[in-house]
Amino acid sequence: MGASKGPRLSGMQKQVLSLYRGFLRAARSKPEEERRKIESVVSEEFRHNCQQVDRKNFIYIEYLLRRGKKQLDQLRDPGTTGLSSLQISLPNINKPDP
Amino acid sequence: MALRAAMLRHVKVPVQTLPVAAPKLQFWNGFFRSMSSHDDHITKEQVTERVLSVVKDFPKLNPSQVTADSHFENDLGLDSLDTVEIVMALEEEFKLEIPDKEAIRIDSCHLAIEYISNHPMAS
Repeated sequence: MGASKGPRLSGMQKQVLSLYRGFLRAARSKPEEERRKIESVVSEEFRHNCQQVDRKNFIYIEYLLRRGKKQLDQLRDPGTTGLSSLQISLPNINKPDP
Repeated sequence: MALRAAMLRHVKVPVQTLPVAAPKLQFWNGFFRSMSSHDDHITKEQVTERVLSVVKDFPKLNPSQVTADSHFENDLGLDSLDTVEIVMALEEEFKLEIPDKEAIRIDSCHLAIEYISNHPMAS
């Protein structure tokens, strides 16, 4: 299993991927149509940040991780049927510090 | 269309009850059994075929690039987010839940096939 050719992932990268996995998993429990929407919004958000955020800006990435975890907890609530009740807005990348 | 309907109304085809052939019935039984989750025996060949078909279905890929030896990032040009999506799709295909620690290691078709064919719950 250790024979991976790719570069080793940092702890922070693992956290991001784990959060992404968490979102996709939470989306599975929602109705089909909502699930599709959630998947596309979440995927767009992660990809956007992955391109826009400087990978050395740890403080900001940590902030995004914390925010993502909170949103994930809300999404996991069975009462939440979709993202409409969560405020997912693309963060303002020019102001990295919360 | 009206003509067609009028003609159909006048054309009568005698109804035949087709005798159900015994061997055919057996075929269908076998078919459904292979689809049921109770049949836990899946061969490595079946795993390979299904893993490859899930990976080939991934929208960003050209299916003809995908082989059992493909590394998701190095050979297929996917990123780590794509890899997460593929592993999640494999979970659904095989009705598994792959823990984070394991999921993060699966970075090629080969490792996915190994992992799933050794998994006792894969179906």
